[in-house]
Amino acid sequence: MSVQFIALLTLLTPLASAAIIALFLRKQGTLASIVSTLAAAVVAAGSLTLAFGGSRFGADLGAPVAIEWLKLGDLSISLGFLYNDLAALMLSIVGVVGLCVHVFSLGYMHDDSAKARYFGGLSIFMFSMIGIVLADNLFMIFIFWELVGLSSYLLINHYCLKQSAADASKKAFITNRVGDFGFLLGIILCYYAFGTVNLVEIGHASTAGTVVAAAIPLLLFCGAVGKSAQLPLHVWLPDAMEGPTPVSALIHAATMVAAGIFMLCRIEPLFAAAPAVALQTVMWIGAGTALYAALCAITQSDIKKVLAYSTLSQLGYMVAAFGLGSIEHLHDETKTVVILSAGVGAAMFHLTTHAFFKALMFLGSGSVIHGCHHEQDIFKMGGLSKKMPLTFITFTIGVLAIIGMPGLAGFFSKDAILYLAMENNTPVFVILTVTAVLTAFYMVRMWKLVFLGGTRSEDADHAHEGGASMTLPLLVLGLLSVAGGYEAIYGGHFDGVLKQVAHPHGAAHVTILIVSLAVMIVGAAGALLFYKSGPADSLQQKVPGAFAGLNVLKASFDSAYGYYVAKVQQRFALLLNFLDQILIAGLIVRGLSGVVGLFGLAARALHTGNLHVYVYWFLAGAVILWALAAGTL
Amino acid sequence: MNPELIQAAADNPWMAIAPEIALAGLALLLLVAEIFLPKSKHGLVPSISVAGQLGILVGLLVNWNGASVGQPLFNGLLMPGAHTQFLRAFFVASSLLVSVLGVVALAKQKMPKVEFFVIVQVVSAAMMLLSQANHFVLMFVALETVTVGFYILVSYVRTNPLTLEAGLKYLITGALSSGLLLFGIVLLYGVAGNPTLPGSSADSMNFDALYGFLQANPGNFLASLGIVLVLSGVAFKIGAVPFQIWIPDVYQGAPTPVTAFLAVSSKAAGFAILLTLVNVFSPYAGLVATVIAIMAAATILFGNLAALTQHNVKRLLGLSGVSHAGYLLIGVLASLTVPVAASAIYFYLFAYLLASFAVFGVMTHVAGENDADQELDHYTDLAKTNPFLGGILAIGLGSLAGIPPLAGFMGKLLVFMTVFAAAGAPVGPLTAGCYYGLLGVAIVGVVISIYYYFGWIKAAYFDTWRAPLLEGETDPTPARTPVACWMRLTLGLLALASVVLGLYQGPVAGWLLLR
Repeated sequence: MSVQFIALLTLLTPLASAAIIALFLRKQGTLASIVSTLAAAVVAAGSLTLAFGGSRFGADLGAPVAIEWLKLGDLSISLGFLYNDLAALMLSIVGVVGLCVHVFSLGYMHDDSAKARYFGGLSIFMFSMIGIVLADNLFMIFIFWELVGLSSYLLINHYCLKQSAADASKKAFITNRVGDFGFLLGIILCYYAFGTVNLVEIGHASTAGTVVAAAIPLLLFCGAVGKSAQLPLHVWLPDAMEGPTPVSALIHAATMVAAGIFMLCRIEPLFAAAPAVALQTVMWIGAGTALYAALCAITQSDIKKVLAYSTLSQLGYMVAAFGLGSIEHLHDETKTVVILSAGVGAAMFHLTTHAFFKALMFLGSGSVIHGCHHEQDIFKMGGLSKKMPLTFITFTIGVLAIIGMPGLAGFFSKDAILYLAMENNTPVFVILTVTAVLTAFYMVRMWKLVFLGGTRSEDADHAHEGGASMTLPLLVLGLLSVAGGYEAIYGGHFDGVLKQVAHPHGAAHVTILIVSLAVMIVGAAGALLFYKSGPADSLQQKVPGAFAGLNVLKASFDSAYGYYVAKVQQRFALLLNFLDQILIAGLIVRGLSGVVGLFGLAARALHTGNLHVYVYWFLAGAVILWALAAGTL
Repeated sequence: MNPELIQAAADNPWMAIAPEIALAGLALLLLVAEIFLPKSKHGLVPSISVAGQLGILVGLLVNWNGASVGQPLFNGLLMPGAHTQFLRAFFVASSLLVSVLGVVALAKQKMPKVEFFVIVQVVSAAMMLLSQANHFVLMFVALETVTVGFYILVSYVRTNPLTLEAGLKYLITGALSSGLLLFGIVLLYGVAGNPTLPGSSADSMNFDALYGFLQANPGNFLASLGIVLVLSGVAFKIGAVPFQIWIPDVYQGAPTPVTAFLAVSSKAAGFAILLTLVNVFSPYAGLVATVIAIMAAATILFGNLAALTQHNVKRLLGLSGVSHAGYLLIGVLASLTVPVAASAIYFYLFAYLLASFAVFGVMTHVAGENDADQELDHYTDLAKTNPFLGGILAIGLGSLAGIPPLAGFMGKLLVFMTVFAAAGAPVGPLTAGCYYGLLGVAIVGVVISIYYYFGWIKAAYFDTWRAPLLEGETDPTPARTPVACWMRLTLGLLALASVVLGLYQGPVAGWLLLR
């Protein structure tokens, strides 16, 4: 099998699975879950074979795979693959985490009444996500971008009888529309500027010294703001936790929300060729999101909401890391190559480790929720370390990884970002450090409330470990959360990305080490000392002012958008509706259709059914044409 | 075998028309089978017909490049061109699908069954010859074979008065149009055979000779009159205004498979011969372009407007087919200056074949015993009670309406794009504005057509309420025929092809556009 064929197989297997489930297995949930999980296994096998087989392909890498799909005049849209180290890394993450989530879902969704719909949704998501990863042009990315949006909508809305789930799915979809509008404008502008939307050709054009308007990368960044839930479009992600927990792990933690960062890394040459303001905007939005979300996470009492805000915060970290990358001119022997050094490496490295430990924690929380009969309030849990030892151990690894315990995955990637910030921008370094303190604080708070102390509700008393299908993925991801920070496990196959990760040396190394250790200890100790294992929030009791302040901060965006929608947009819509009813529906549509209908009646009346009349028609027609030929008409 | 024999076989013109001979031979075989098979085995005949046609189609596709393209055959009677290979496959495929529909539709009638298949095959063989005609005599003989066959097919169900009426109307209008065509041919033959004029020829019915004569004598009155009359005769076939008047009555009265045959094959044959003739008449391009432009505009508007108010689905399809002829006519106009327009027309016809047979296939299953009585109301509830037929209908009608991403959309897009390109070099008295105006008319026509096509889809999908029957009243909706397994396969393939061809035109368009 050629490598291109394996890539195609990896892309199309989940689609086939989704089609089979939608057409034939809608009522057979168990069979559907097996088909979908097998498809995920094929994806995982395919992605790892491709990545560690060492083959890379695409326009510049030899063996390009592209078919011309649509050609209209000068506009030619082709479908093709660009499989470089970046895509290989992302595809491996999607494959591995996807398989873990599928296997976990076998146990978690075991009793669900709409299992077939759920697994069909997972398959269509896998297809769309792999499409984004492999696509070699922005247009194709956009198609799959919308498809992941659709599958995310379907899966958030899985419990569609719950009003909150329905609302959340609509919110996610509409908020993403806002970002995608900018993304689409960016693609159009890109085509206008370069005459192509192919990633490789754009790369050539922008490294050839063309100055790119800052608007192009910034508009494309809008897509990432929506999909990766950055300020100010972050509002949908916490609500999206209404979906089943494995979905939150796969889509809203590890892969889809990271697609925004992946896309930024794909269009890196555009940022390199644009004025520095573009990159700085990205950096500030990322840093702002990181801090804001960490502040919001402190007051959450729902275990999934804490993880959601933590995801937001970590995504902000990645976006900031991308923005911190400095533009460097590397001199090849033939041409000058402009790349964003370090930023892409740090962002993708953190994306990778985060995918492992955040998926681990989400699946762990799924295990907890499943064990406690769908109780999600951390104040009603407690003492689960004894009831669910395996979940406890793996979850603890996840927490230690995210707060940056030396030796675990998160430590390396977070340090890379902090080092980059320290070197390049002190204010951002301060923001990210504070965020790291907060991260340690709220993570340890949640960990303590859930697992330590005594049980605080009947559900928690009866908590139990799930079956092997639920614990196995936890173990795999736990292992990756430990080992994911060591470059050795990547075997040098992703050097195109990971070699860009900046490593501090000498004094800087010591500084970073001290800072990150201090950050972790301050945050964790604060939480351990401050929170008691009790049914109420210690912060709310002791410092009600701060608690209320944080809640207002969290709600501020929602209430602002709510005000805008209710007071501005709704009134504008009323006005438009009025115009629509009177002018468009009344005058234009009804009027025009009436006139056309009259003509139609007249035309119909000509068909009298009388043969004599028909013969006269023919003769009249012949005479008219005769007159034409004679030149009298 | 020795190579000389093989060479001789390859040079033999009869070998070049082997598919036509096979198709007609298959028809004779069916007659023989009817005589020799016991009555209880007569059910086999349709199967033999379908299997045989499938074999011929496969043979044609396998020997796709085996044809002697560009070599005149039989002293210039036939000229297999680059496109004729596509048209031959088109006609065999259409004949095959008509036979398949015939199996379903004839089962509801107490009529002899074998003749139907025989006539369909003979007519199709004649169409295949027609598409390669390079001589007026062969063209007329082939055309009359087609027309006479259709006289019988249209009035096939003799027990139905509407069918008989349709047959009579088709006979009289058809004869009239043949008269016009023949008169035109005679005028051209006469004037081009006049030895006192430059470029005259003894064999002036040969298209090449005629082309030479027309080039040597621009502006000859008799020749232009002949051209106009010949175009009128062909306009009857494709149903262009003002020669469209027979269409609703005949389409309604004819049995549904015959209606499909008329709508697809007969129209395609008309366009095949029109494209040939337009080339022959190209020295008189100004006249031809004027005639076609006027006919096209009138045809698009009239077809769509008249279809708007129809309640009978066969009349609706007939009049919508008139508007399709109009879109194709502007493509013919473009082909005067942009040769690739012919390819766009063939692509359009292929998309039209896929969509039409899907829709007609659904119609044969919804229709009851009275084939002429097929109202829009009968489609109420279809999508709910039979989602398969509902889905096929939606895809077929969507493709006919030109909704992306279906094949019909790409067909329209290709034709309109060639017209746009042709506007760069307007012909004769036409200006670029005329081309843009025609495109405008066509787009308005497409918008109108969406109204009635979607009205039909709406009937099948959204009108789920039926008035309760009063006491003593019988249900006016005929019982629907259950869909057989092989019919499911056929219809499913047609719909799938419409979708795939809409998304990816590579092989078909690539082949057509390269020529």
